[in-house]
Amino acid sequence: MHRIDCPWCGTRDEAEFQYQGDATVVRPDPDASEEAFFRYVYLRENPKGWHTEWWHHVGGCRQWVKVVRNTLTHEIFATGRAQEDLPLPGTRAKPRRRTRPKQ
Amino acid sequence: MTEFQTIHPLGDVPPQSVESGDTSGITLNVRHEISMVQIFARNGREMELAKKLNIEGVPGRASETRSFTAFPLAPGQWMLVSKNAPGSGFGTGIAKKLKGIGYVSEQSDSRVCIRVSGSQARELLARGCRLDLHQSVASKGFCAQTPMAQVGVLLHQVNDGPTYDLYVYSGFARSFWEWLAHTAGQFGYSRGGRGH
Repeated sequence: MHRIDCPWCGTRDEAEFQYQGDATVVRPDPDASEEAFFRYVYLRENPKGWHTEWWHHVGGCRQWVKVVRNTLTHEIFATGRAQEDLPLPGTRAKPRRRTRPKQ
Repeated sequence: MTEFQTIHPLGDVPPQSVESGDTSGITLNVRHEISMVQIFARNGREMELAKKLNIEGVPGRASETRSFTAFPLAPGQWMLVSKNAPGSGFGTGIAKKLKGIGYVSEQSDSRVCIRVSGSQARELLARGCRLDLHQSVASKGFCAQTPMAQVGVLLHQVNDGPTYDLYVYSGFARSFWEWLAHTAGQFGYSRGGRGH
């Protein structure tokens, strides 16, 4: 069970949230190839460790929350608003963004 | 021709006096004759809107004004609850004030307000609420949106008695009421009246 720190509401129970997937995916340019859009829509990595994710606070403020969570231990390192770039643990760098596929 | 009838989802719940509730520790009442509107600030106009209505946007804290209580729902969004009856023009009055800086959505018929009071009120809500309502954490004016019994609820602590107002979507009000009244039974609350 997670306790997620919503930037607006404060710390709330996981049951108030819906998991909404990978927050590192970047939409390709409109003129990108069909293959690029296929990867964007359907293909996801399944990392073991830190992962930046979307959680929708559907039972509270209905805002989208960005969460850095460890998929192995379920530890939550950081949460933030949708516009924020959250660093991964042990780095000062911004979370790794998936590079756009070759077009 | 069919006449439209306004049917309150909990219209058959009889009023309960606070005195009788004190003996059982729980008093449940449905608040009728209140107006509710939801307001949304235009992008970047949140501060202006709050200043115009003399309300605050602090999460978890209700703002009391002379004519309504404002509950912050999300950034730039509030629920306003007035003691004026629906049809009294509360919503249109707010809409006039917010012209150009925000939007208003009438909610008087979309939500039902259940007032929970009595010495055991906090313990009753703890049966279904994941929030910490202990007096050291939540006091008069506390408000939050949270699911209770699988139903989305806007919770407001009216006073430190404690008394709580629970705003529930009308379509879920009967289901929520059944859960609430059933759960209150273990604190000595007894149902009465038609449909219970």
